[in-house]
Order: sequence, then structure tokens, then C-alpha cells
Amino acid sequence: MYQALLTRRYLTSKVMPLLAVLAVLLSAAMVLTVWSVMGGFLNMLLASGKSLMGDVLITYPVRGIPWYEDLLAQLEDDPAVAAATPTVEAPGLLKLPDGSVRMVQVVGVEGTGYDKVTGFRKSVWWRPPEPGDKPVPTADLRTFIPKRYLDEALALTEPDPVTGDPKPAVVLGVEVSGYNKRNRDGTLTPRDPTGWWEALGLQVEGFNKGAWIVQKSSPGDPDAPPQRSALDELPFLIDGQVTLSVLPLSQQGVVVNVEARRLPVANEFRTDVYEVDANTVLFRLDALQAMLGLDEARRVKSAGELVPLVDLETGQERFDAPEDIGVDPARATSVLVAAAPGVTPSELKEIVKARYETFAKTRIDAPPAQFVQFYTWQERPGVRTFVAAVKKETGLVLGLFGFISLTAVFLVFAIFWAMVSEKTKDVGVLRAVGASRQGVARLFLGYGFAIGLAGGLFGVGVSYLIVWNINAIHEWIGRVFHVYIWDPSIYYFTEIPNKVDPLHAIMVLVAACLFSVLGALAPAVKAARMDPVRALRFE
Amino acid sequence: MVEEQPILEASDLYKTYRVGRVSVSVLRGASIAIRTGEWLAILGASGSGKSTLLHLLGGLDRPDAAGAGVRHKGTALRTMSAAQLDRYRSRSVGFVFQFYHLLPELTAIENVLIAAMVRYTRLSYMQRSAHLRQRAADLLEAFGLVDRLKHKPSALSGGERQRVAIARALMNDPDVLLADEPTGNLDRKTGEGILDAIASSRDIDRSASSEAPARPPLTIVMVTHDERVAERADRIVHLADGRVVEGAPVGA
Repeated sequence: MYQALLTRRYLTSKVMPLLAVLAVLLSAAMVLTVWSVMGGFLNMLLASGKSLMGDVLITYPVRGIPWYEDLLAQLEDDPAVAAATPTVEAPGLLKLPDGSVRMVQVVGVEGTGYDKVTGFRKSVWWRPPEPGDKPVPTADLRTFIPKRYLDEALALTEPDPVTGDPKPAVVLGVEVSGYNKRNRDGTLTPRDPTGWWEALGLQVEGFNKGAWIVQKSSPGDPDAPPQRSALDELPFLIDGQVTLSVLPLSQQGVVVNVEARRLPVANEFRTDVYEVDANTVLFRLDALQAMLGLDEARRVKSAGELVPLVDLETGQERFDAPEDIGVDPARATSVLVAAAPGVTPSELKEIVKARYETFAKTRIDAPPAQFVQFYTWQERPGVRTFVAAVKKETGLVLGLFGFISLTAVFLVFAIFWAMVSEKTKDVGVLRAVGASRQGVARLFLGYGFAIGLAGGLFGVGVSYLIVWNINAIHEWIGRVFHVYIWDPSIYYFTEIPNKVDPLHAIMVLVAACLFSVLGALAPAVKAARMDPVRALRFE
Repeated sequence: MVEEQPILEASDLYKTYRVGRVSVSVLRGASIAIRTGEWLAILGASGSGKSTLLHLLGGLDRPDAAGAGVRHKGTALRTMSAAQLDRYRSRSVGFVFQFYHLLPELTAIENVLIAAMVRYTRLSYMQRSAHLRQRAADLLEAFGLVDRLKHKPSALSGGERQRVAIARALMNDPDVLLADEPTGNLDRKTGEGILDAIASSRDIDRSASSEAPARPPLTIVMVTHDERVAERADRIVHLADGRVVEGAPVGA
């Protein structure tokens, strides 16, 4: 009983315990803030690693899976599957308007199905802002973009300039062309690769009645007022043209040809994962299948040369038409599967495997399950190593900060040791009125706990304040000191994670109390062991 | 007069201290018997071991193995465990020290109450808290400190602090009040006031204060080097060469 009263008084009547509380506060705040931000980054990286992938991936490269429509139907039958979509992936070469050539991964997709599985729509960059998007600055080009750019991206088509018919188009990752400049606020400024636009001093003002309103200032005469004109298309890569070359392979895996096509660019997509944004080109599945020879074809009995025959009855010439003996089905090199809510990717993988095995039994020419690769999105080779590296880094940083926080333990220990020495007489008095050794020990341990609790609670509070406002703080530091710690034009995140996991907060609080009690342990034992007579003799 | 058992007695006490390499023999076979209700003064020069004797009587220290040791109402302190000794110090004796030894962070009334807080468990204390608070206030009032209840020791004079200490010593209604040079740090006039307070403590109504119906009168053992202070007591003994020498009782 007396311990509670004395602890209360000790905490409020001296400066030293305040310093101890401050030490615990700072350590707790530091650990929780770093944990929340680094942990938040890890979660963001993990989530972004899932870009354009779905939860589970079935893949049989180069040759592809035939009759994939059956497989899709069977998969979508399963309650654990939310949606499935086929893709074809192949390496390709992309020639850009400025003449440079890039090596890319070409992915053929079915627009709406692909969006259902991967959330592709959200990744399309040049589209009008939708609810749920991050706020777009008013001067950004995207506020003027008409909706047809989004529709064309989802359909992967562009209208033919002459006939108006939809023609297959590509959607590039925003880093493929290298034409987009990253701005600090996370937006992109497109650059015209030929330099024509910049040389002409053109600036986009808005979009009105189906045309872009462009401001042009006269480079020769800076005082002249800018002229306005309307352009049907913007002179940068979107609405531009590229040449895509792919290598169709024979059944034996030998290059039979080079297929090249000149294609319009419908849009660009952005996942914030550099490897994906810089190397991926999306194309229409059917068009890519056709280029690679993976589309449906009629299998015919070899007719040798077409020989004209004479019909014995009518005397007319007729040609022997090649005999149809079947259909060579269209193939997809991958199938992406999205999980229904509540199903984990690992669970889904097993279900998908089982369904594939059933499917493979019904189709002789489908590759058997043991030759087909099944990945959850985290297991996908590129993602796996990347995630492991980030996790290790986070663990390392946290470990270091935790270790540094041990100094708080030593600080509490030092302060308590000094306090026990100072309180020698008090211990003697308490023992003289009948307090037990354990009671005295409990007094100092409880005192340590109180300091840990106070420091921990305030530390957690401070941490919440910092983390919730970290983006504003980061902005402020940038403005005042011109130091951008997480520069969005260098890193691929535009926002610092600003959430604190309550479980982490509780763990930090418990640790603060525990370590404070630990720091008070030796001093408490010392106080308990003190000889009361000697203690009282102390002046 | 019926021959009563002494409330506190010691036979053949030995106590030796080690100071570095040197052993100092402070008590060498001291024996004393204290009658219930008496005010005994132990007179001795500085360093004669009188404080040590008091600490041994109060169970604050243990004598050397030789000799029979201290007995309280017939029970030998030697046979008590640490917990039992703690209880003895809490309930049976009350200490008053030369340098008051109040807890600086607590107010006057809290300094008195701390004795009860140590004695009772949390639950028992909470049940009695109003009653205990009243007793503490009454004690302080009896010693003229009714206006000083909420003052911290730093705001009190030496005499006032000592009176708080006496109130604290009496809080748990002990059998024996053990005073170690209670006036040693005070001027003569204030010292007289303290001795008056000690004298008056015997008159404090004990029957109304505790649970037991009939309480024996308060016994006081006071240690001092000042003869004039010692004369206030009923009986004086001398401590010399580590042994107690009986003197004649004061008065008749």
C-alpha cells in the first residue's frame, strides 16, 4: 500500500525520474515509429510486388496450354476462384519513335478479364481520376484526359485514323519509353522524344469539345502573347506508334520467323515496381497469339501440291480441298487466377492444381500437371528474392534500433542506482516501521514499472502523432531544409506509410515496462539487502 | 505489587561491529529488564553502544550468537523469522530517532499514516482508512500540529518534525516507544517540549484506538547522553563498557 503512495510522490517530486521517463519515451517512440514506417514500406512493397499478377499463376512457357478456355471455365466454377484470365508472354523488341530499341516482355491479355483478375484498370495511367485514386494536382495532364483513353486501354485498341475501326494497340509500362519525367509530387510529365513539342514551346491547357487546347509561346518573341490552338492528338507517345517484333517458335522450339507489326500506343500503365514498368508491354491476346502462331488453326491433312482433278461424271475441273482433320487449339502460356475473398494464395494454389489435373485428364494434348508450373504471387521468381531482401533489411533496421533502445534500460538502471543511494535513509525508515525486505524491493520494482508505463504510454502517443503526420513532416523538412528523405522522383513511392499497427504499439509498451523493471532490478535488490541500521546512520 | 513479566528484557547481549579490519565490541554481555508502563532512560556517553542496545531491543538488528538475546513478553526475538521480526517492529514497538527520519516526499499526516500502510495489507487498509486517517489526525492534534497536517517536512521546524515522528511511532499502538536521543538535535527549550510530548503519550487513550479491549500502559525506553533529559524518566540505568549498570530510580 505504501509503495503506491511513495511511487506517486517519487514520480512527481523530482527531476531524475522525469529524465528516466523521457529516456523510455524516446526509445519507445523511436522503435514504434521505425517499425510502423519500415513495416509499412514492406507491406507496400509486398502489395506492389503483386502488380498485374493475380493471386496464383499457372504457367507453361513458350508452348502454352491448349484448350485453356475449358480450364478457365472449370476454374471459374470453383467457389474459391473469383476470376481467371489467360495470357501469353514472350520476349520482344520494341522500336520507339526516336529510333531506339528496347528489349521487352510482351504480355498478351484479354482486357476486361485481365482487369478482373489483376485490377489493371487502376494501373492505367493516362485516364481521368476516379474515386479511390490518390488526389491529382489540378495542373496535371490527367485531369484533362478524356475517358476514351481509358476505354482504349482496357480494350487494347485504337481507332484506325482512316476507317475508324478499332485496331489492336499496345499499352506500355510508363518507364519503357523513358519519355516520362518523374515529378516530386508523384505525377509524370511526358516529353516529346523528337523534341518537337519542347522546341515549339507548347503547353497543354485543357481539353474541350474533343480537342486538346494547347498554348504555344513564341520562342523568338518572349513578350508576345501565347497563341491557342486545338489539337486532335497530343504530340507525345500516347497516340504515337511503335514497332513490335516477336519470335514465333515451332513445336520443336526453333525460331521460324520474325513477326513485326507497326502498332499504335493506346496508353501507359504504372505499377510503381520499376522492373515491371520498364520492361512490360501489354498487347491484345488474340493479336499476339496470331503473331506467335499460338492462335487456333485448322489442322489439315497434307495435300502435297494442289492438283486439279477432273470430275469423272461432269467432266469439270475441280480442286481437291485439303481435308480438315481437326483443330489445333489456341494456346495461352499462362493463366492468372484471382482468389475469392477469404481464400489465401497458398490455399488457392492447391485448389488450382487439383482443377488443372482434372482438366489435363480431359484433354490429351494438355501438358501434364507435373510439367506445368504453379506459383502464388509471392513465389514468383522475381518477386520472391525481392521480398526476402526487403524483409531482411527491415529486420536488420529494427534489430539495430531495438539494440540502441537498450540504452534506455541502462539509463533507467543508472538513475535507479543513484536513486537507491539517495533513498538509503528512506529505506532504513521503512524497515524501522516494519516494512519487509520484499516490500522494499517491490517499492523500487513498482517504481521502475511506473516509469516504464509512463514513458511507454507517452512514447507510443508521440509515435502515433509522428507517424500519422509523417507525410506533412516530410514535406515540411523538404521545404525548410531542402532535404527530401524519400524523394518520389527517385524512389517508387509517393507516400510514406502512415499507419501504426495497434498490436505493435502494445508490444512496444509491454517491452518498455519490462525493460524498465529490468533496469530497476539490481537497485531494488540492493535496497532490499540494505542493513537498516547502517541506512539510518547515513546522514 | 504483583511480580509481572517484564514487557521487554535482554540477557547477556553481545554485539560486535567490523570496521574495516578492526572488530569493535560494542556490547559485552549487557542485560536489562524493562517493566510494563515504565519510562526508562539509558544514560551513556557517545559511542557507548546505547543506540545499538535500542536497535537490538527493537528488533532492528540482531545480537551476536552468544547470550540469550532479547525477549518481548517472554518470546525470544532470536526465534523469530524475518517476517515475524518485521511484524514485531510494526506492531509492538515504535522508533523515534535523533534525526527524525521523516520521508521528505510525504506530508505530515502521510508520514504518520505510512506506519499503518506498512502494517496493514492493501485490503485491510482500505477498509479501515477513514478510521486510520482520523487516528493520525488525532495524534498530530494531540501534539499541537493540527495546522500542519498537509505540510511536508521541509516546511516544519525541528521540534515539529520530531513530534510528527513521535506520532508515527504511536500510530500502530505499540507496547514500547523506543526513543534514540530524541532531543539530541534540538535546542533545550524545544527539547523540553519534546519530552513533554513523550510524557503525554502515555496519557493517550489506548482503549479507544485499537481492536484489543484492554491495553497495558505504554512503556518508554529512552536513550540519551544528557543527564537532565534522563531525569525526566521514571528510572535511569547507565551503559558503560558494554554493560548495563543499574542506578537508583528517580524519585521514591
